[in-house]
Amino acid sequence: MPKELFVDPQVMRKADRLRVPEIPVHAYATPLAEERQRYGDKTLIRVLRDMMMVREFETMLASFKAQGAYAGIEFVYKGPAHLSIGQEGAAVGSALALKPDDHIFGSHRSHGEFIAKGLSAIAGLEPAALAAIMEGHQGGAMLRSVEKILGGDNETEVAETFLLLGLLAEIFMRASGFNGGMGGSMHAFFLPFGAYPNNAIVGGSAGIATGAAMRKRLGGDGGITVAYSGDGSTGCGPVWEAMNFSSMAQLKGLWPEEHRGGLPVLFCFNNNFYAMGGQTIGETAGWDRLSRIGAGINPDAMHAETVDGTNPLAVADAVARKRALLVEGAGPALLDVECYRATGHSTSDANAYRSRDEIKAWTAHDPIALYAASLKEAGILDDTVEAALAEGVAARVRMVTAAAVDPAIAAPVDIRANPTLIGELMFSNTAIALPPEPVGTFNDPASTSRVRQLAKKARHGIDENGGLHSPMRAVTIRDALFETLLHHFTHDESLIGYGEECREWGGAFGVYRGLSDILPYDRLFNAPISEAAIVATAIGYAMEGGRAVVELMYTDFIGRAGDEIFNQMAKWQSMSAGMLKLPVVLRCSIGSKYGAQHSQDWSGLVAHIPGLKVVYPSTPYDAKGLLASALAGNDPVIFFESQRLYDATEMFHEGGVPEDYYQVPIGVPDVKREGTDVTILTLGPSLYAAVGAAETLAAEHGVSAEIIDARSLVPFDYETVLKSVRKTGRILLVSEASERGSFLMTLAADIGRYAHGDLTAPPQVLGSPNWIVPGAEMESTYFPQAQDIIDIVCCELIPEKNTDYRGLRGWDGLDLSRRGI
Amino acid sequence: MDVPIVMPQLGVDIEEAQIDEWLKAEGDAVEEGEQVVIVTTPKVTLELEAPASGVLKSIAIPADEIAKVGTTLGIIETE
Ligand SMILES: Cc1ncc(C[n+]2csc(CCOP(=O)(O)OP(=O)(O)O)c2C)c(N)n1
Ligand SMILES: [Mg+2]
Repeated sequence: MPKELFVDPQVMRKADRLRVPEIPVHAYATPLAEERQRYGDKTLIRVLRDMMMVREFETMLASFKAQGAYAGIEFVYKGPAHLSIGQEGAAVGSALALKPDDHIFGSHRSHGEFIAKGLSAIAGLEPAALAAIMEGHQGGAMLRSVEKILGGDNETEVAETFLLLGLLAEIFMRASGFNGGMGGSMHAFFLPFGAYPNNAIVGGSAGIATGAAMRKRLGGDGGITVAYSGDGSTGCGPVWEAMNFSSMAQLKGLWPEEHRGGLPVLFCFNNNFYAMGGQTIGETAGWDRLSRIGAGINPDAMHAETVDGTNPLAVADAVARKRALLVEGAGPALLDVECYRATGHSTSDANAYRSRDEIKAWTAHDPIALYAASLKEAGILDDTVEAALAEGVAARVRMVTAAAVDPAIAAPVDIRANPTLIGELMFSNTAIALPPEPVGTFNDPASTSRVRQLAKKARHGIDENGGLHSPMRAVTIRDALFETLLHHFTHDESLIGYGEECREWGGAFGVYRGLSDILPYDRLFNAPISEAAIVATAIGYAMEGGRAVVELMYTDFIGRAGDEIFNQMAKWQSMSAGMLKLPVVLRCSIGSKYGAQHSQDWSGLVAHIPGLKVVYPSTPYDAKGLLASALAGNDPVIFFESQRLYDATEMFHEGGVPEDYYQVPIGVPDVKREGTDVTILTLGPSLYAAVGAAETLAAEHGVSAEIIDARSLVPFDYETVLKSVRKTGRILLVSEASERGSFLMTLAADIGRYAHGDLTAPPQVLGSPNWIVPGAEMESTYFPQAQDIIDIVCCELIPEKNTDYRGLRGWDGLDLSRRGI
Repeated sequence: MDVPIVMPQLGVDIEEAQIDEWLKAEGDAVEEGEQVVIVTTPKVTLELEAPASGVLKSIAIPADEIAKVGTTLGIIETE
């Protein structure tokens, strides 16, 4: 898209041959003597101890699942246990090469990576920093417990016990767990040790780690991110999207010098050759060697390598080399770390898909046994030390387990005492305050024609003679959104924006037009057609401390980012017991005229998922103020915009759209027209149909309608509506979403409950039919029109008006009446 | 001969557009097909090309002004 990039037909049409770099497979051959020089014997022994720790920890979980007891401690553990027994070399090896401020994002099978990263961070952090970290977690409560059960004050021992107890309490979903008991086995994290959220969705971490890497690059925090996932995740589209996103050419070519470079993210595939029962090698994948997929992403083949995950030092060596490349800006990188899962996928796995012979063959390649033998052979370790290590590890895990099942130390989450506890974790309802003066580096907005044009526009849509201004001459919703975006971009340096066609094109519908003249590439850029990666990277960017506003061209493309919106964006604040904040605003336009796959109002779909604030303004005043609240707030917001309303000018707010920055609170409906006989509650463009209907109702039927624009779906404050219904006794709810299962149905049911005594008729809902949105010419038969509103008011709500249906509606009652019901 | 540069029809429901920038000044030589003026509708920015080769004799609608579809924006004088 940028004009300086010339697509030269002479070059493009020339015959050529692509050369793919060689991809090393098990190339590691460093003699142990050299590794002794590199790490020192103490660290080499710690590697063994850490692998033993991971194994003992998971053996404990396996024992609880199988026998309900471990080392004499009885406990019923009902949650999941995806164990990595057999894969410890991969986890501990990679953690050895990582620094405390490198951030890992794991999978469902990440206890090992979590423990290994924590132990590595503890070894790398200064005692004072460690103490501050532990003191900072839950007001030091966990630290006090650890000090009590340990009875000693060896800092490393305290910190390691703290790590294991925090994780186990979380796996048991105890209030003192690292996520306050809201995450559990597959979602644990502890940010100060660089252990970022693990993900129960296969491949879910790839995009999030990529966004976090982008923040590391832009925020200047240093370090890299690691996306751990299994071989099975190479079948997931979002993983490919993330790898492509992290290698976008613009990162190395178009971004400002100080932030140039491929993203510092390592895609680390712990390849145990199986998904659950599906076998990637020989059955469900075609790559033969997983590392080959790097060749499909960029000319560096992502510096891909296949590494022997059985040997922790081979893994550490590879991760250290990739880390150096990433820090230099040569990212992303990919490692195929081959390892073998000795136990089942989960404890319910009957191993029906693999032979006993195979399992037995791999027991001779156990990472712990092999590594211990190599240390002994080199004279670094003897049987006595080995036995002492094993004993120490067993004692530690036993002590931690006893503490984790003790309610006095790790109390269960007490929902009965606090029934709304989880509800209160859904949103932080906090916001940042913008500085009064602009901050950051950008071109003078006044130098752009968009801003000059805006300065000349009328702020109200109605001219002096009562006529309508053209959208060229008055502020539209498109302009109102632009004004807020410009303000936030110029007053909040942590904010970045991207989506498909966001720069020169101006965003899919011109909202951003002019912004690319103002903002550099690293604040506003064109993303690939990767809806999943667009949303996931925004989440990772926010987890790492940034703020993002991203765009999906059409709401109908939400399906392509389904997991990212429904499971990631919606859930991480609460799954972290509020420790994570996700200031992400996802702008989605709701289409029209392009038929069934480009025109559906899906606002109710996202409103259904707990954890998302959902907004759908329909006037410029509201659009400007609500977007400001969304961008300033720290909660994730889905911000819907109607394509049919981008050119709408302000008709309701006195004085029109203020030039200055202001906020409209999310969740509060607004009375757009006062009336006494019937309340019409609208969502989206139906506001304008309702205004037309209200005029006819007044002129021809003597009915005074009060119109309320819902403006937001989540949260939704009923007060304004209930007050209105108390006055009118009747309510009709109108939106363009298909009626079945729609958000209006929920509102109508709630209003029926809350206002039962005030209603003289049941609430009526008018939506679109439960069939596809037809083409442009037929749209008026589909979206509710003014006449449809009049019909319902005069036939259903005020039957004494005694009129007949004149519009096309009544189809839902039609079938019942045909059948005589 | 005078050849007008006319604001084209930019879409069925577009009645007017804004002049963003003249890429040529009065008196400048222009080639047919060369971009002379940038205009903006509510949604998009477009570059209009010179309809003929010659000299940009006059600019009728300066930058930042709004012009209706069909309006003459400027005149090119050919030999
Ligand atoms: C999107 C998604 N699909 C399916 C699952 C169910 N599931 C959980 S783990 C798993 C296998 C994953 O295999 P792999 O990525 O190789 O990781 P491994 O379990 O071998 O560590 C499956 C299918 C899921 N959690 N998420
Ligand atoms: Mg696997």
